[in-house]
Amino acid sequence: MSGDLVFYGFALLTVLSGFFVVASRNVVHAAFSLLFTLFGVAGLYAQLGADFLAVTQTVVYIGGILVLVIFAVMMTRIPRGDAPRRGLDRAVPAAILALLVFALIYMVIVGTRWPERAAGAPEATVAEIGTGLMTTFVFPFEYASLVLLAAMVGAAILIRERAPADDAADADDAAGEGEVRS
Amino acid sequence: MQVMTDLFARIFGDGLSSLGLLVAGGLTMALIMALVMASCAIVFTWAERKVAGFIQSRYGPMRVGRWHGVLQPVADMVKILGKEDIVPRDADKPLFMLAPFVIFVGSLMAWAAIPFAPGFIAADLDLGLFYIFAVSSAATIGILMAGWASNNKWSLYGAARGAAQAVSYEIPLALACIPVVMITGSLNMNDIVIAQQGGIWRWHFLHDPFLFVAFLLYFVASIAEVNRGPFDLPETESELVAGYHTEYTGMRFAFFFLAEYANLFLVSCVATAVFLGGWQPLFGPVFLPGLVFVIKAVLLVLLQMWLRWTLPRLRVDQLMHVCWKVMVPLALVCVLGAGIWMLATGQAG
Amino acid sequence: MSETAAGRGWGGQDVRRELHSELLEINMGPQHPATHGVLRLLVRTDGEIVHGVTAHIGYLHRCAEKIAEGCDWRQWMVYTDRFDYLAPINMNFGYAVAVERMLGVQVPERAEHIRIICAELQRIASHLIAIGTFGLDMGAWTPLLYCFREREEILNILERLTGGRMLYNYFDIGGLRFDAYDGFERDVLAFVNIMEQKIPEYDTLLSYNKIFIERTADVGVIDLATCLAYGCTGPVLRGAGVPFDCRKDDPYSIYDRFEFDIPYGEGEQGTVGDCWDRYMVRMREMYESCRIIRQAVDALPGGPVKAEDLKKLVKVPQGSLYTRTESSKGEIGYHVFADGGSKPFRTKVRSPSFSNLHVIEKVGPGMMLSDLVATVGSLDIVLGEIDR
Repeated sequence: MSGDLVFYGFALLTVLSGFFVVASRNVVHAAFSLLFTLFGVAGLYAQLGADFLAVTQTVVYIGGILVLVIFAVMMTRIPRGDAPRRGLDRAVPAAILALLVFALIYMVIVGTRWPERAAGAPEATVAEIGTGLMTTFVFPFEYASLVLLAAMVGAAILIRERAPADDAADADDAAGEGEVRS
Repeated sequence: MQVMTDLFARIFGDGLSSLGLLVAGGLTMALIMALVMASCAIVFTWAERKVAGFIQSRYGPMRVGRWHGVLQPVADMVKILGKEDIVPRDADKPLFMLAPFVIFVGSLMAWAAIPFAPGFIAADLDLGLFYIFAVSSAATIGILMAGWASNNKWSLYGAARGAAQAVSYEIPLALACIPVVMITGSLNMNDIVIAQQGGIWRWHFLHDPFLFVAFLLYFVASIAEVNRGPFDLPETESELVAGYHTEYTGMRFAFFFLAEYANLFLVSCVATAVFLGGWQPLFGPVFLPGLVFVIKAVLLVLLQMWLRWTLPRLRVDQLMHVCWKVMVPLALVCVLGAGIWMLATGQAG
Repeated sequence: MSETAAGRGWGGQDVRRELHSELLEINMGPQHPATHGVLRLLVRTDGEIVHGVTAHIGYLHRCAEKIAEGCDWRQWMVYTDRFDYLAPINMNFGYAVAVERMLGVQVPERAEHIRIICAELQRIASHLIAIGTFGLDMGAWTPLLYCFREREEILNILERLTGGRMLYNYFDIGGLRFDAYDGFERDVLAFVNIMEQKIPEYDTLLSYNKIFIERTADVGVIDLATCLAYGCTGPVLRGAGVPFDCRKDDPYSIYDRFEFDIPYGEGEQGTVGDCWDRYMVRMREMYESCRIIRQAVDALPGGPVKAEDLKKLVKVPQGSLYTRTESSKGEIGYHVFADGGSKPFRTKVRSPSFSNLHVIEKVGPGMMLSDLVATVGSLDIVLGEIDR
C-alpha cells in the first residue's frame, strides 16, 4: 500500500514534469524541469530496489548531463523573430509519429517476458554489481572505459588550438566582423 | 531513522501501522535534520564572524546577547525576515523563486546519510557515501537556476563559474574517498565508521600515506565544492558583486546562506565519518558518540574558516588547473597506491 | 593578433578565435566593489576573457578647478583636500609649493620639516589602503584589516595634529596653519617604530603568499613604453622599472636633504611592471617613508611655522607655473595661472590617477576578468582625484 503511494507520487512527478519539458515554450524552463523528471525516475529506480541505479542516475544525469544541457541552453540566445508556425501541417505528422513511437514502445513492453522477482525488502545490489563488473563483465567494463577514453581524446583534439597559420587567417576573418580588437 | 521508528513503536505500541511508523519516524528525522541545518547556520555565522574577528585583530559581534554577541545570528535572522522580498522585474520569476529551495533541498537530502552516532542516522543506506555525493550534486542545478533566473550578467558569471567548479571538484572529492571504500569494502557510512574502531591509529587518514594524501585532497576539494575561500569564485565579492545570489534579498537570500553553512558542515561531517573515525574517540571505548562526532566536524569547519580568512582567492583558470592537472591525477595515484598497499600488507580479500 | 591571457604556466588560455562567441558587454561599476569608487568600466567579455575595456569617469566631478577662480589663493587649499581623499596632505603640499614658488616665499624650516613628516605619514596611510584593497581584490580580507589597524595610528596622529581625520586643510600658503602639538615627535617616532615591524607581517601574510604571487605576477604588465605613452607616474612607472620620483628627480621642499632610496620593479616574481611589482614598490616605499620621517623628526628645528612677511590676502604676481610634486599615486601637478589679483585666473590639476587609470584600456584586452580587477586594484586609483 505504502509502496503504491510512493510509486504514484514518483510516477506523477515524472510524467507531469516530462510533459512540461515537451510542452514548455521556454527552452530554459524545459531544461530545468528535466531536473524533476530525472529525479522522479531515480525515485522509481529506488522504489524498485535498484538503489545503485537510482544513485547513479542522480550522479550522471542530474549532476552531469543536466548541468551540461542547462549550460548549453543558457548560453544560447533565445530565438527572436516570428514564432514558429503551429498549423495542422505540423501537428498532424507530429501526432502520427508520436503515436507510432508509443505503439512501438507499448508493443515492446507488452511483448517482453520480464523476469519476475518476489516482492519484499529490496536487497543491496551494489556488492553484486561490483562483483559482476570485476568478474563476469570485466571485459565489457574495460572496453567501455576504453571507448570513453577515446571519446575524451577525440574531444580534446577537436577543441585543440590550430596551428599559427590558421590563426592569422582567422584574425583576418574576425576583422571583417567589426570585432573589438586591441 | 531506525532509532526514531523504534521510539515511536515503543511509545505507541501497536497503535500505529508500519506505514504510520515509517512516516512519523521519517518526518521526525527530517525535522531534526532541518533543525540541525538551521542551527548550523546560526552557530556558524556567529563562529565565522568571531573567527574572522580573531584573525583580523578585532572583536566581531559583541553587543547582542551579553556574552560576545551570541545572539547576533538571532538578531540577524529577525532582521532578514523583515526584509523586502525583491524579485527583479526582468527576472524569470518561477525559477528565481525556486532556486534557493533547490539548493536547500539538495543539501538537506544529503544530511540523511550522515551517521552522527551509532544508529543515529536518518537513512542507513548501503550506498550512503555515493548517495551523499549524488544528491549534493543537485545543488549545482540550483546555482545555475539562480544565476540564470536573476537575469543579471554578474549572476550569470557566478552561476557559470559555480557550475563548472562544482562539476569539476566533485571528481577529486569522490576519488579521494575511494581508497577508504576499498579498505572498508562498503559504501555504508555506518560500516565505514565502525571499521575505524580502536583509537586514532585506526582512523582512515592514518591508515597509510596514500590515505593521508587522500584526506588532504578531500579537504581541499570540499572547500572548493562548497564555494568557500580561497575557492569562492562563484561569489567573488570583489569581481562578481555577489555572484549567483546578487539579486536575492530577505528570506531567499537567507536560504542561500543557510545552505552554504549547512554544506560547510556537511562536507566536514563526511570527512569526519570517512577519514577521522566518525564518532570514535581518540582512544578508549566509545564515549558520547554524537558529541565526539560534532566536535571533530566543527574543528574541520573552523579550519576551513581559518583558511578562508587567511588566503587570497585563486583565478578561475588556476582553479581548474589545480583540479584537473593536480588533484585528479593525485587522487588517482592515491587510489592506485592504496590498492597496492592493501595487496602488499595482505589486507586485500 | 594573438591575445594571450596573462599568467604563466596555467596551460593554454590563448583566446581561440574560432571558438569565440558573441561578446558580452558588461558594466563594471559605477557601483561595483572592485572599482574603488564611482568608476564605470565598460567591459566587453567573451566568457572570462576581456576583449575591451573603456573607462567612463566623471561621476565625482565637482568643478574644483573652476571653483578656484572664485576663491582667493588661500581658500582653494580646502578644495585640494578633496582631490585624493586618501592622501589630502600630499594634495595640499603640491598646491602650497606651487603658489609659494610663484610668490617666491621662503617657508620656515620648522614648517618644512613638519610638512614632510605629514606628507610621508600620509603616503604610508595611502599606500596602506592601496595594499589592503589590492589584497581585497584578490579575495584576501585580512590584510585590509591589518592595514587599517596601522592607518588608524596615522589618523590618530594627524587628528591630534590637525583636528581632522580625513580632510586636514593643514597646510597653508607660506607654511602651516598652526604649530604641531607637544609630543608630536614622540607620537610619530612611536608609530614609525611600530610600522617598520609591521611591514614584514604584511609580507608573510600577503606579499609572498603563493596564491597572491600566482594572481599578480606576470599579470597586467605595464611596460615602460606604455607608461610613457599614457603618462603614468608614481608606483606604476616605478613598477615598470624606472626609479623616477619627483622627490629625488625634481626636488621640492627640503627633500634633497634626506637620504632615501627609490624602490622600483625588478620583475622579482615575474615580468617587470606586473601587478606584483607595483604592489611591492608601494610596500618598499613605506619603508623609505619611515626613513624620511625619522630623519625629519631628528632634524626638526624650532621656530615659526608661517612665513611672516605674507599678508592674509595674498596676491600672486602675474604669470603661470607648472609645479609637480610626488603624491602617493604619482606626479600631482598644479598648473597655476595668475593675473596679479587675489584669485587664481585658472588652475589646472594634473592628476596621476587619471593618467594611470587609462592604461587599463591598453593592457585590459586579453586578460581574464579576475586579472582586470587585479590590474585596476594595482593601479591604485582614487576617483576624487581623477574627476576633481
